Amino acid sequence: MDDVESELGMVNYVMAALAEEDGDAAEQVAALATLCDVLAVAEDGLSSVFPVSELVAHLPRLVATGEGDVPVFAARAIAEACEGVPPWAKNFARFGAVEALRDRLVAIDDIELAEECLRALDAISQECPVLCLRLGVAAAVLQFFDFFSTSKQKVVLRIVDNVLNDYKAEDAPKAIEAAPALCNLLQSSTDKTILASAVSCLEMVSAGASGSAEHMNMLCELNAVDAMMKLMENNGWKNLSDDTLAGIFGLLTDLASVSARVTESLFEFNIFDLLKQMITYYTLSHRDSNKVQMLVGLIYHLVPPCQNSDHQNQLIIAKKQVIIEQIRYIEQLASILTLIIEVAKSVGLSSICYSCVVFIKNIVKLTTPDFLMELQKTVNLSSFLACLLARKNRHVIFQTLNVSKALLKKHHQFFIEAFIKEGVKHAVDTIQAREKDAKSIHKKKRNNNLQEICLCFDLDSVTSSTHEACRIENMAILKLAEEIKKNFLAKGSTRSPHMFGCVSKSIRYLSAMLNGHATGPPTENQNLCKQSSEFSRQLLSDELPSTSTFELVQSESIKHLAGYLSNGAYFNSNLRNCQDLIGQLMEVQNRLQKFAHLALTVENESSEKPLGILVDKLIDALHTCYDSFPVILDDEQCTRESTMIPLRRSRTEESALLYIKFSRSSGEMGLKDYDDVLPVYLSSTPESIEEDLFPDICIRTDRDSACKETTQEASGSGKSVGFRDGDGHSHRSSKLTLSYKGTKLQPSVPFFEPILRSMHGGQSDIQIDPSFWDKEHKIVYRRRNKSKKISPHSSYHAQLSCMHEKLEMSLLKDPFFSTTLTGKLPGDLDESDPSYNFLFMLKVLEGLNRFPYHLSMCEKICKFAEGYLQDMDGLKVTISPIPRHQFVSNLLTNKLELQMQDILFGDGLIPSWCVYMVENCPFLLSFEARWKYFCLTVHYSFMSGEVSSPSETVKYRVLRSNILEDAESMLNKHGSDTRMIEVEYEEEIGTGRGPTVEFYSTVSHGLQRMGLGMWRGDNTSQEDCEASFVHAPFGLFPQPWTSAKTSSQGISFSDVLQKFKLLGHLVARAILDGRVLGIPLSKAFYKIMLEQELDIYDIPSFDPTLGKAVIEFHALVKRKKFLETSLERTSNLVADLSYKNVRLEDLCLDFTLPGNPEYELVPGGSEKMVTLDTLEEYVSSVADATLNSGISRQIEAFKSGIDEVFDLKTLRMFSEDEMERILCGEQDAWASYKLEDHIDFDHGYDVNSPSVINFLEILREFGRDDQRAFVQFTTGAPQLPLGGLASLHPKLTVVRKQCDGKVDDELPSVNTCRHFIKLPPYSSKEIMRQKLKYALAEGLDSFHLS
Amino acid sequence: MALRRIIKELKDMQRDPPTSCSAGPVSDDMFHWQATIMGPSDSPYSGGVFLVTIHFPPDYPFKPPKVAFKTKVFHPNINSNGNICLDILKDQWSPALTISKVLLSICSLLTDPNPDDPLVPEIAHMCKTDRFRYESTARSWTQKYAMG
Repeated sequence: MDDVESELGMVNYVMAALAEEDGDAAEQVAALATLCDVLAVAEDGLSSVFPVSELVAHLPRLVATGEGDVPVFAARAIAEACEGVPPWAKNFARFGAVEALRDRLVAIDDIELAEECLRALDAISQECPVLCLRLGVAAAVLQFFDFFSTSKQKVVLRIVDNVLNDYKAEDAPKAIEAAPALCNLLQSSTDKTILASAVSCLEMVSAGASGSAEHMNMLCELNAVDAMMKLMENNGWKNLSDDTLAGIFGLLTDLASVSARVTESLFEFNIFDLLKQMITYYTLSHRDSNKVQMLVGLIYHLVPPCQNSDHQNQLIIAKKQVIIEQIRYIEQLASILTLIIEVAKSVGLSSICYSCVVFIKNIVKLTTPDFLMELQKTVNLSSFLACLLARKNRHVIFQTLNVSKALLKKHHQFFIEAFIKEGVKHAVDTIQAREKDAKSIHKKKRNNNLQEICLCFDLDSVTSSTHEACRIENMAILKLAEEIKKNFLAKGSTRSPHMFGCVSKSIRYLSAMLNGHATGPPTENQNLCKQSSEFSRQLLSDELPSTSTFELVQSESIKHLAGYLSNGAYFNSNLRNCQDLIGQLMEVQNRLQKFAHLALTVENESSEKPLGILVDKLIDALHTCYDSFPVILDDEQCTRESTMIPLRRSRTEESALLYIKFSRSSGEMGLKDYDDVLPVYLSSTPESIEEDLFPDICIRTDRDSACKETTQEASGSGKSVGFRDGDGHSHRSSKLTLSYKGTKLQPSVPFFEPILRSMHGGQSDIQIDPSFWDKEHKIVYRRRNKSKKISPHSSYHAQLSCMHEKLEMSLLKDPFFSTTLTGKLPGDLDESDPSYNFLFMLKVLEGLNRFPYHLSMCEKICKFAEGYLQDMDGLKVTISPIPRHQFVSNLLTNKLELQMQDILFGDGLIPSWCVYMVENCPFLLSFEARWKYFCLTVHYSFMSGEVSSPSETVKYRVLRSNILEDAESMLNKHGSDTRMIEVEYEEEIGTGRGPTVEFYSTVSHGLQRMGLGMWRGDNTSQEDCEASFVHAPFGLFPQPWTSAKTSSQGISFSDVLQKFKLLGHLVARAILDGRVLGIPLSKAFYKIMLEQELDIYDIPSFDPTLGKAVIEFHALVKRKKFLETSLERTSNLVADLSYKNVRLEDLCLDFTLPGNPEYELVPGGSEKMVTLDTLEEYVSSVADATLNSGISRQIEAFKSGIDEVFDLKTLRMFSEDEMERILCGEQDAWASYKLEDHIDFDHGYDVNSPSVINFLEILREFGRDDQRAFVQFTTGAPQLPLGGLASLHPKLTVVRKQCDGKVDDELPSVNTCRHFIKLPPYSSKEIMRQKLKYALAEGLDSFHLS
Repeated sequence: MALRRIIKELKDMQRDPPTSCSAGPVSDDMFHWQATIMGPSDSPYSGGVFLVTIHFPPDYPFKPPKVAFKTKVFHPNINSNGNICLDILKDQWSPALTISKVLLSICSLLTDPNPDDPLVPEIAHMCKTDRFRYESTARSWTQKYAMG
């Protein structure tokens, strides 16, 4: 009480002092200071004792008229009061506080006073924004913005923000007053938060003023556009925060939508260049659909729409005027159009696609026929239209039809031909027929829930508030299609079928020829063989490029090709009986070889490989199957921030659950009822639930026999378990059949999918209705028919797997080969789905593209064996694969990305196609997308039960001098812990990320030390031992250890095994914790990690000289066998066989492993000599020791290390190169800035030569793969020694290449001995890049035997 | 295996020595040889005797032997450390080759230098543009380093 009373006394005293009209300034200051102190600690309770009315009257007056420090303290008092008790602000305002503060601020006599004013205004503006706005506070506070410190500047912007928030249209003139200062800010400030708030303030200005073109034009005159464009130019947009960027684009879109002038100035600023960069960035490298949406929104508003709604008419005409007047504006449009078409084709969201199509429609209507014809040369409009017309989304179809109509109107003759060739006509026919059907069905059944989300108003931000009906009525599409047919497509179709038929016939002929080509033995009708081979080459390289995707599909040549490659198995729905499996196998291999040779050979430098063209077309065709890959999103749009470190989910986190009521099928007597509603995880499938469900519904007596049955079946299908058909899981026999609303559920498809599919009948992309989560879903179960036998498919696989033991070639064991051989994709994919053919073909071609070396070498060896190739030097591979990224489907990748953005993805909201693609066709998805998928789903494959979030860590101390041993014990203890591991060093202070990162690289370096017995190349002669690390120019590969010895040269084998286990742990932890290892493992070792098989054709990839010799020996063996089996008397020929004119005996080889005389390949091998007769045994035992028996125990140890942490199988979705990228990180093979230091320039070049400058720039711009290829090209090996370019000896040197002819026709060449690259002085950087890239691409992969 | 092969090659060399060169192990270590090459008479190296060291790798004959000149040679394909740029000593190596074939190849390299694929560009340049100067320098080097 005392406190209050004393305070009250003091307040009274203060009030008295303040009340005097012209009191003593010093006294007033003292009084005010006291007041401030009181107010600073004031609470709500005090407000009753304060003489509020006096206070609010005096203080503003003092601010306005006080002298000396009085206004400062008065302002501070107002601030304190309003901050303490916000409602008071209104009272102050009523007594003129706002005016007083504003005037003081603008007068800017005293910076301290100004700052106090700001503070007070900040508080008041929160309470009475409208008044503040009307009194011009916004402009006033901004006036002397630069005078304030950064923290005060933020206050200023907060005030403006408060004031402008949601202001009324009539206050627009006042709001506009603030705009000039805000625009200035955009140009002058570099602080990110200030920029962001300035942009958001401007956005509010425009939001309030919207609808009034006059005000918007004013904004434009204030250089708002200028300021924003300046901010974004020169890649400035990359530095802006997401909010700022969104603000800028929101503002630009607002402005452009109401003002033609803004549109014009944006054109003048070359906005499309910027948009092009940004769209490319956000679609290709970042796949951020929100950003793309935002950009497309702006683009849409830059081009006038064509609807003639009255109130916009004038604007449209004005915009048209702007664009038509300037030719360069149209050129800008053309340049972006190409990109937009790409976006529309590959984007995963229908709404973006819709926006793009509307934009294209507007452009088409705006431009001239000539322009459009010109455009068709660079981008295939017709094929694009056909692709979109194959979709289900009615909005997209409707607008696409509109585009088609507009194009036909513009230039009928030209486009009708293109439309027929590319299948637009066909698509229109299909749509018409489908709509007609729908119409008749519709009449009978009124109620259908085909309602898709209406996109009509997505783009018109201005009118979005009004809920108009969807513009596409029921019959609209049918009407439009009929109109197009009647008016345009009926004519002119007389000539075209012929044209179409011609091409399709020749393609059909190709497949027929191919089929005939391979049937006869090549020796018999060589002439015919040669003829047809030439013919097919001609078709592949001449006809294929000019064939449209539509023709390719429609002529069924894809199916023919599939039939040919699989030797008919593709057409054969019942798998052939497997009598002649070996014959079939050889035939398919033979065909793949021939096809690979044809498809990977280029006619000349400039033409693309036929395989590349074929793959492009197949991907195109796959994109017409948009609806086979539905995206399922939860209605509540929470999106996840991207993260690169694998996620762990803690147990405590709640996962989304689905409520399922299982009920017994009415006719089912053999099972009991199940009464409860069972909550299941999203990821649950009929397969996974059965274990829980079955015991509860099984009738007791029945159970025993059921169990017996299971074991029997399991043993019966045991053979198929070992066979990897790519889908990983063997078919478990199930005892139940589940169905939802009468449809049978597939055992491996999660429950949510069919349920949602039926709830949202017909639609492909689904936004989950909230009711889905609350409902109980009724699922009916009954017993599965026992009579079902093992399918012919699986028995076929069983046979194949038996054969696997005998097969030597790794190619034949690859999933892609069994796919080709059986003519079926693995897994239970619906064969009637339109995408099936394309997926099958892509899978086959991708496999073929992975094995060009194997296929080509095999073919060469055959030729050698049969005598067509005389010289062993001809055993060379001349074909190289097409880049893997050509197999990536942007559409599928985008769709997966979209799906992964959903917060429920980690809980299991994963449509089954995603799982299928990742497991069976990972090549269709970009690496980034797969890596993200891995990160989000890896927690399913953790080996230890406990799962925790990645933010938790476990700490461990190691001794630097004993690092390998400590690492071993640490990882044995914590390896399988799902928490992050952090390492600290004994006797060192460092902690956290730094030492941990260093730990991984130190240990991985330690594992490369000489004398560990782990790697090939560890046992080289003494003098090389100056290097203490194993240098493996082709990557590290395990050194074979004979099972006969447990130690060698002082190294015990059990230590070696432990080291490999450590490596396995280390690799797994590095992946899991996002660490980088510095260990150059060989491609072949990565293949092992990915559980792929190796064969002798892999030896050259890590040991070229040995590999070459082994392959040559192998060829010799084949030759001998061929001679022995051919009919003529050839014993002389066989006896005369020699290895490069040297008798095998003279090579003086015994049966020990090359390089390791202790390793006997057969018992007593050191005394057994290699002769022509024992050569075969020698080759296979060397290969076996090198790739198999000699390293299998090490590999087992390594794999067990990984498996203790997570399931090794999950890595299969990556390729060798990608594994390396994950483990060795994204860091460059060389740090860019050091390039000049480690490269010499000589013989006509120095650091300042223009060519050298270009060259260095190109090198810096190279991505990781290109860099790798460059190292391979110049040094002959893919791996730089430890230490990178700096430790390359001799130093990399660039010299000028003397050219006789035209410089730009020459290719760069190298001397790998000296690490010379001879570079012609090309006329431009672009040409240099092209030539370098060409040389790298062709030089790559031929290192095996150069 | 490597040892067996090396011994065989030594025996072959002794039985049927190649003209203008000889070779044999330096000491007890059969993997370390020394060889001499007589400068071919139709070359500027004529009259010189060139010392060459040979190291056999443990996986010989699947890996090429390491061969280097100990005597200084002025030659576009041989650098100051004595390293030789010869395809059969690198990626064109084959188990069918022997040390005597390698030495013969080196002899013919002395006769016919390959300035288009040089190890020492300066010498290659001279060899191509000023043959006389190249030959006289080579001759004087031979006299200086490879005789006596």
